Amino acid sequence: MSWNESAAAQSHPMIAVPSHDELVEQLFVRDLKLHVMQVLEPAQRAIAGQILSDADARISNNPLANLRDAMAPLESFKSWLGIKRESQRQLWAAVAGSVERQADELEQLAAIADPLGSVTLDPDFTVPAYVAQGDIHLMPGGNGFDDGSVLQGAVMDRGGAVYMLGRNGGMLNDLRGQTAIAHLLTIAPDIRPTRILDMGCGIGTSTVPAAMAFPDAEVHGIDVGASMLRYAHARAEHLGAGVHFSQANAEATSFPDGHFDVVYSCVVMHETSPAAMVNIVAESKRLLRPGGIAIHLEVPLIHTFGDHWQEFSSELEAQFNNEPNWRGALTADHGALLRDAGFAEVQVGYQSTATDARSSDRVFKEASDGVFRSWFVASGRAPQP
Amino acid sequence: MTRQPQSRQALPRTPNKLDPIPGRTASEEQTLGMIVGLLSEITVLRARLDACERLLVEAKLLPAGAIDSFAPDAAAQAEREAMRTRSITKVLRPMQELAEQELAALTKETLTTENGT
Repeated sequence: MSWNESAAAQSHPMIAVPSHDELVEQLFVRDLKLHVMQVLEPAQRAIAGQILSDADARISNNPLANLRDAMAPLESFKSWLGIKRESQRQLWAAVAGSVERQADELEQLAAIADPLGSVTLDPDFTVPAYVAQGDIHLMPGGNGFDDGSVLQGAVMDRGGAVYMLGRNGGMLNDLRGQTAIAHLLTIAPDIRPTRILDMGCGIGTSTVPAAMAFPDAEVHGIDVGASMLRYAHARAEHLGAGVHFSQANAEATSFPDGHFDVVYSCVVMHETSPAAMVNIVAESKRLLRPGGIAIHLEVPLIHTFGDHWQEFSSELEAQFNNEPNWRGALTADHGALLRDAGFAEVQVGYQSTATDARSSDRVFKEASDGVFRSWFVASGRAPQP
Repeated sequence: MTRQPQSRQALPRTPNKLDPIPGRTASEEQTLGMIVGLLSEITVLRARLDACERLLVEAKLLPAGAIDSFAPDAAAQAEREAMRTRSITKVLRPMQELAEQELAALTKETLTTENGT
């Protein structure tokens, strides 16, 4: 576990630093989540195993629906589901309190005198329905929230690191971005991109690794939330990365055709919709110069799941933790999506998690090594004329 | 970049879209939320007490283990007992209240029957 009571020191300059009590409150959330995951969930898994071992379930053509029906009335199942969601609500409440206390300091830190990059907001921007209809991951206010401050971004940064239980690069929470760039360097080791775009960049955890790996490139990040983007800009600047953040919908941006050498996204598709996925892939194609590379990184696909319980459990997570396109993204034929959009040299598989895009081992293969050890990646090249 | 936030309101605490858990009542969800909230508070409180104790030992204001070997005198014992009783009565008040209400209802029923009214 890379996150502990020394965590206040293991951070980056922009992250909201908790007081003694706030840190314990956040560690309580982490430990509560681990308890739910490691103590309460195995009991539910055992119950599911018992139900699935029943002959009727084995011959059913819809074992998942049978499992749902059989488990729904069980009191321990309902209380497990309830406390799992409550742990998530506790996470955001704890982090929001800590961020609010530091509001003035965070705003001062966000006032960058001579920025390397920029942030451009669109006052007329409309947040897409799949983001507006339910707050993703139950983060109150949602990804599109904007009160004119950087606070929601600060909540997402600190909360995201606690949410991942420190397994995604501690307080930098950047391993998915490192892994996407590691994939780029796997398929194009000598690439020297001029312009790179991160679609659905959030607070820039996946964008900064591109700027670090390609210091001469012009790196852009787009997302739907103004507070997140302001914070992303400040965070990147404090990490020494020049990134141009702007508010845009990845389905249809205002960048010109063929503007980028590399366009990528990290765990964005499962937060959108089936139609939006198609649009985002098409937009990534439109934005690439001939020969340019698109990379879309996601969580492991459903067919790699070991059993019905894992699949059912992930569906519950999607429903009760507001993941709007979970099943859509995790069952899609991503290779076909890219080919249909006109990409060539399409590759689909699992990229081993990289802690540093340039120095980590670059391994891309067909099989998943498991959650957090590798990430699903679909990539392709815009054809040469 | 100089910019003033439009407002300095509290961040929201209630997420949009909380799907009902089938078979769970709103009151069960409330109770769960309150218990987990209290568990969080107790965890923070214990950590703070632990920090106080460690800092006092470090500052040589308390010998190590002083709290565990603390033996209150008679007056202190009485005060501490009153504190415990007060806490128990306060927290378990709803149970006592309900029992009293049910007893009152039963007593009224018995009187009514005895009086034949």
